[in-house]
Amino acid sequence: MTRITIGPFNRVEGDLEVRLDVEEGHVVRAEVTAPLYRGFEQILAGRPPLDALVLAPRICGICSVSQSVAAAAALRDAMGCEAAPNGLLATNIAHAAENAADHLTHFYLFFMPDFARETYSAHDWYGATSERFAAVRGNAAREALPARTRLLETMGIIAGKWPHSLAFQPGGTTRAIDLGERVRLLSIATAFRSFLERVVFADSLENVLAIATAEELDRWRDGRSGDFSWFLRLADSLRLADLGRGPGLLMSYGAYHGMNGELFPRGIFAPRATVEPLPLAQITEDVSHAWMRESSADPAYSTTVPDPDKAQAYSWCKAPRLSGQPIEVGAIARQTIAGQALVADLVSASGSNVRNRVIARLIETACIALAMEQWIKALRLSEPFCVNSRDIADGAHVGLVEAARGSLGHWVAVRGGKIERYQIIAPTTWNFSPRDSLDVGGPLEQALVGTDVGEAGPRAVAIQHIVRSFDPCMVCTAH
Amino acid sequence: MGAATETFYSVIRRQGITRRSFHKFCSLTATSLGLGPLAASRIANALETKPRVPVIWMHGLECTCCSESFIRSAHPLVKDAVLSMISLDYDDTIMAAAGHQAEAILEETRIKHKGQYILAVEGNPPLNEGGMFCIDGGKPFVEKLKMMAEDAMAIIAWGACASWGCVQAAKPNPTQATPIDKVITNKPIIKVPGCPPIAEVMTGVVTFITTFGKLPELDRQGRPKMFYSQRIHDKCYRRPHFDAGQFVEEWDDEAARKGYCLYKMGCKGPTTYNACSTVRWNGGVSFPIQSGHGCIGCSEDGFWDKGSFYDRLTNIKQFGIEKNADQVGMVAAGAVGAAVAAHAAVTAVKRLAGKREDAAQDQ
Repeated sequence: MTRITIGPFNRVEGDLEVRLDVEEGHVVRAEVTAPLYRGFEQILAGRPPLDALVLAPRICGICSVSQSVAAAAALRDAMGCEAAPNGLLATNIAHAAENAADHLTHFYLFFMPDFARETYSAHDWYGATSERFAAVRGNAAREALPARTRLLETMGIIAGKWPHSLAFQPGGTTRAIDLGERVRLLSIATAFRSFLERVVFADSLENVLAIATAEELDRWRDGRSGDFSWFLRLADSLRLADLGRGPGLLMSYGAYHGMNGELFPRGIFAPRATVEPLPLAQITEDVSHAWMRESSADPAYSTTVPDPDKAQAYSWCKAPRLSGQPIEVGAIARQTIAGQALVADLVSASGSNVRNRVIARLIETACIALAMEQWIKALRLSEPFCVNSRDIADGAHVGLVEAARGSLGHWVAVRGGKIERYQIIAPTTWNFSPRDSLDVGGPLEQALVGTDVGEAGPRAVAIQHIVRSFDPCMVCTAH
Repeated sequence: MGAATETFYSVIRRQGITRRSFHKFCSLTATSLGLGPLAASRIANALETKPRVPVIWMHGLECTCCSESFIRSAHPLVKDAVLSMISLDYDDTIMAAAGHQAEAILEETRIKHKGQYILAVEGNPPLNEGGMFCIDGGKPFVEKLKMMAEDAMAIIAWGACASWGCVQAAKPNPTQATPIDKVITNKPIIKVPGCPPIAEVMTGVVTFITTFGKLPELDRQGRPKMFYSQRIHDKCYRRPHFDAGQFVEEWDDEAARKGYCLYKMGCKGPTTYNACSTVRWNGGVSFPIQSGHGCIGCSEDGFWDKGSFYDRLTNIKQFGIEKNADQVGMVAAGAVGAAVAAHAAVTAVKRLAGKREDAAQDQ
């Protein structure tokens, strides 16, 4: 058996290190390390609760709106108030723009460039792939980056600045959108849809979302241009559906809250079973392999205190579990639980894997591009965007949202007008969690086991595909 | 790599950028740097003849918001100009290489371009526990930072983290996150604070340095004067409402819909030096105050530990009198510490005296 270490990883958000035990060319055990810790939960304790709206988003420069929205949701719970309907819509629009931008970034800047590696130079698709997707010099980024920039002007209109926006409050958003701004938002959403239809899918979003099964997908892509079809071709050629299989269980907290529930509902999904309600009280955190001191397993009562000398530990990341089991989160979980026909069909056939994760992300991008248009039209400009309340109740409160990369929860305990404890479980905390006390690995650790690394060892590109297929956000992971 | 004699111009031409776009880039850059039209030809000339400057971009303890801001610059050529052409030789967020290959690029640049490269640092080193709160490539980030800084021409400290410490250095500063200039003391350092800094400010700074091979003029705190010499308050479009004593009392109230001043909601614009109210954000679309939320002063040292972000700066007894507005600025700036006080007392007084007329005309 040989042990190999891969890291620092590039083209992921933040720092990451992976150690693999390899036997006869196959991974038999994986350890995933989040090597960066800043101590946000320690910093938040003792501060006025509303300050979480400014501090918590700064955990991450990529998913800052998700962090803002989660903090606002937790404080809304603490205030016991409802947000203004317009505020929810405006928040959804901005949050959708961030999530869609994240999906685009992942596809074009982080994930696809791996197929332009020389390892693949013998394939007939290599030349065109390299020209289009190579890191830094590929021509796809030159189309995707401006589209992304334009989409994120949404943040300018709704939130003033991004990353680290301030407009998201427990009661809604700080600023009313006027008629002219609504028109601008609509033109941004339309431009984004047109980018997706022209460059990514080469078809209308309605047609794309009408694809309900794997067979229909095969017929649809036949002879079609566009980057999505190109990816499907690579996925077949490299059998990406056989790569990086997750633990099986999927979870979503429910995404884009509205007056009539969520756009993508809350739930859990077990293989060969149906979607079930989420048993929230079953969420625990295990620190047996994290450089953290023991504390309550319940995130509502746990604290975060580093213990850098802990034996056995190998990550700053705690190990969250649902009913004692590791669980995968992300677009694939959201879309499966939401019953999106194509994603559900693919997952029921082959589970969660590298190919299906990427497909789910792009399909979700199409869904939210359409939803954005609806939300913008639904704004009632003369009505309030924010409900004001400053009464924050003592006690334990929670805010649960979906970031681009999956389920994000903020647990806040308030006492005497100050934050007593703050606990955050981010999407990649779930996906890249270390082992628990039963020595069960996190989703990525499980997904890596069995991977054929062949002669390449640490240079095996399969490892890169698997790691990136989760779209890790390492700075959120251990915060 | 392997392009020591390559110029910026030859790189962009190879990328298929037209000469016309190149000149447009030069004149826009000159304008954004406040250098006037004649400087455009100087910039063009420099970019055509001088070897491009390698830039090493490293990440310490941070959240990547600086990179995120940077890649969204609305500057027409920025995605090409800066991402690929100014030779961003190492940026682990977007680069192609991984692992040991990536480490090798650092080593190669350090040796080959000794004393010539720019080290751009996003984030900062945590010093507690021997640096193990930020391990990069098996080594504490602080070691990597010191190694790369040793042979750099100059260092850009991106954002509030690298410049001041930022929220991760907030009490109790669990990891002892430490700004760059406390760790590297023998190299010129330019601070570009903000959480994150504005994209156009970042590209402006990079372009200036790579074009002229030196740092732009800095203030006493090490910030480029061209972008950090005015308070948000000085050029805030809501300033007339401050002077008139018209204030927002609650989010999205009637006063908010009329665009009144956010001072009472905790706005730190009167004590914050940055270009948000002029350059604005996300392609010049808006900035925090325009979204109806006060400025939190994210480009100022210590902004994270000055009491609640929603508390008022200080009590002002008489609204609507210019002189008092400036006193507010200086009283609060004085509280920040000796360095800032010196800055506020010496630089700001002179500047405010001079800038007052401009500000009045703008409104």
